[in-house]
Amino acid sequence: MKRHHSTPGCCFPFPVKYNLSQCTLLGNMAGPWWRQCRRWSTNCTTVSWFETSWYLNGRSVSSFASTLGRKSGCSGPLNERHHPASAAQTHSKTPNFTLSLIRHTSRFLYPTVQPCCCRTTHSDVKLKDPFTLAQKDLTSLYDDIKKELFVSKDELKFLCDYYFDGKGKAIRPMIVVLMARALNIHSNRAGDLLPGQRAIAMITEMIHTASLVHDDVIDGSDKRRGKRTINEVWGEKKAILAGDFILSAASMALARIGNITVVKVLSQVIEDLVRGEFMQLGSKENENERFKHYLEKTFKKTASLIANSCKAVSILVNSDPEVQEIAYQYGRNVGIAFQLVDDILDFTSGCNQLGKPTAADLKLGLATGPVLFACQQFPELHAMIMRRFSTKGDVDQAWQYVLKSDGVQQTSFLAQRYCQEAIRQISMLRASPERDALIRLTEMVLTRDK
Amino acid sequence: MLTATLSRMPCLALSSRGQRTLSLFSSSGSSNWSKVVSDAEKIVGYPTSFMSLRCLLSDELSNVAMHVRKLVGTQHPLLNTARGFVYDSKNSLQMRGLIVLLLSKAAGPSHAASDLLAEDMVSGIYPSQRNLAEITELIHTAFLVHRGIVNLKEWTVSDGPLKDMQFGNKMAVLSGDFLLANACTGLAQLNDTKVVELISSAIGDLVQGIYHENFNNTEEIGLTDGINMASWEEQTFLSHGSLLAKSCQAAMKLARHDKESQRVAYKYGKHLSLGHKLNSDLQPFVKGGMGEPAAFSLSTAPVVFHRQIVGQERWHQQLQQATTLRNQLDYSKLLAAVKSGKGVSTAVDLCCYHGNKALEAIQAFPSSEARSALENIASAVTKF
Repeated sequence: MKRHHSTPGCCFPFPVKYNLSQCTLLGNMAGPWWRQCRRWSTNCTTVSWFETSWYLNGRSVSSFASTLGRKSGCSGPLNERHHPASAAQTHSKTPNFTLSLIRHTSRFLYPTVQPCCCRTTHSDVKLKDPFTLAQKDLTSLYDDIKKELFVSKDELKFLCDYYFDGKGKAIRPMIVVLMARALNIHSNRAGDLLPGQRAIAMITEMIHTASLVHDDVIDGSDKRRGKRTINEVWGEKKAILAGDFILSAASMALARIGNITVVKVLSQVIEDLVRGEFMQLGSKENENERFKHYLEKTFKKTASLIANSCKAVSILVNSDPEVQEIAYQYGRNVGIAFQLVDDILDFTSGCNQLGKPTAADLKLGLATGPVLFACQQFPELHAMIMRRFSTKGDVDQAWQYVLKSDGVQQTSFLAQRYCQEAIRQISMLRASPERDALIRLTEMVLTRDK
Repeated sequence: MLTATLSRMPCLALSSRGQRTLSLFSSSGSSNWSKVVSDAEKIVGYPTSFMSLRCLLSDELSNVAMHVRKLVGTQHPLLNTARGFVYDSKNSLQMRGLIVLLLSKAAGPSHAASDLLAEDMVSGIYPSQRNLAEITELIHTAFLVHRGIVNLKEWTVSDGPLKDMQFGNKMAVLSGDFLLANACTGLAQLNDTKVVELISSAIGDLVQGIYHENFNNTEEIGLTDGINMASWEEQTFLSHGSLLAKSCQAAMKLARHDKESQRVAYKYGKHLSLGHKLNSDLQPFVKGGMGEPAAFSLSTAPVVFHRQIVGQERWHQQLQQATTLRNQLDYSKLLAAVKSGKGVSTAVDLCCYHGNKALEAIQAFPSSEARSALENIASAVTKF
């Protein structure tokens, strides 16, 4: 099953203006999100922030949010086919502007209400901390990975184990095990993980790490997670081979689960990761194209792994495609939000917090969300984006423009939208501590500072 | 260890059975190989690899092709790898895929596979086997590309601008990954998790083999303790044999052939690859002495065996004698030194051993056009 990668004209971001009532509603309902926004808008008052988002060239984040379709890039954050309720997304083809706007509004109100209900009806006071809850399933994660990487040759083994030192956040395996437990309970089983689900948590981390090792060579990075990178210490040749080896071990572990559908779903991730990396090579001249390109790249490079891993654990326990779709959509939306926040932190966090130098993306010539939004206010950025910040002083200047603009806030707002959608999706599962932890996790994705 | 290896070299076993004469230093040379390969291609129907074609025509690789032009004038290995795709001088580029197809055809339709439709076969080969042949090629090509990554810390001015070398690496990583990713999705489409596991393990073997090849046998190691023949075979199997052996096995598995057929196919692939590697390692040593000999790697089989036979001390002397004042190796001197010893003949014997083992394995299949082609390929490997 091949899929299309860009279908020009299929979804065209059209200008949507926020009216103030919509904003107020959003602001009231989404209390925690709202406070979150203010973190980004240091010098802005509440009102001015909304005003900014309102007159932003008549093009708001919500139109961008709808540009990244599921897989083909053709539909919005929701998938119309499986969820009739989300038909609002067809607005991109609806000529009636007002109608689509109303639908839009209601769509985003729903998810913020939902978790509140859950909280009152199902769980007591606080949502469970995802880390604590997932801990019991993750204690042997790195040991299991090291067993998979067993090779005779000492040095290759050492290289492959290098990043599995337990110092990573292991956020992907955490999402996978929580999702697996939530799905097991939803499917009338005990929460305990099936062996295949446990393997998927491990494989997810392996695929992620293999791609990091290769990315570091491609980007010429010398630091990762506060350590020197493999390419920095052992050279590029060995780094590439180590990455390839981790991938092959992941692929073997995947095959041993014995479910061909799961193999297909996770093989797709590997292809997405590479295609996403290729997408980073090019810049688009047209602004709308550029944003669509950015979100598609974000999906492929970050969200596809989370989305498809969530889908894979659901395949093992539940054959209902709608349930699988919920898992997939939760992962996809959280994944995109996660990367958007990552792109924000590249501007806002000081050196060392992320384990990599700030403005790393600019230095690599990459225009991420904050820059793309800033470009709407400061068209001067356009030329810099096109030459990939290659002229002397470009990086500093672009940095200044971004901080002067509300690019960071806009990106943050977009990330919130994706999180809201993730919550809406996951709320369709039966209540469980793990499900609530996944809801809580979206909040942590937004508030993390490293 | 050495005697153990030597003792299992009944080199002319087949000729004594009168089936085939293996004239070792026949002048047929590479033209023979080309003919054997092109004849065999006709047997499997269309040899063109559609999956590779799809990859080559993809946006991603066309992009790379465009960028690779920037590397012209630099020493980045990606340039030569890319050139090799266009001009395949050794006629061995799609060799692996071809052998998988020939074996598939030689094994024929399986009795156990009631749900596999015989009508789906094209030229006696199941579509899944064709896909597997293409995947094998994709993986092989991916590692040709990944082998050509350079360590930037070892960069010198003569390589060309550092920026270009960085760029060459980037392109090599990406295009190799792209081919591997396509291989992964292709594998999944074969609908057989055992086959996915088998081929994934072959990728792991390949990585380990290349790792050894690169980092245990570098030129400086000419001065440290060499490896012995057994470990040479082990490492060469990983870097040059495992992929073909496991692909051959997987081709049988896809057609639901029994364990025995799978084992035989694996054996053929394994021994053929080892024979083929020995044959190409031997080329500088068996060719007529016209002009200056090209530089050869000190990790090729004849040199490794020579070192093993003469011992470290003698080898170091020979290395020193062949080192010029400007601290460079005089390859013609070294060639003569190796030729004077038993390393070359040991390698030739081993080459025959593996060629014959491959021939032996393939006898398990019924006589057919495809089997003859496989026999021809196996015996071509033992000719120089």
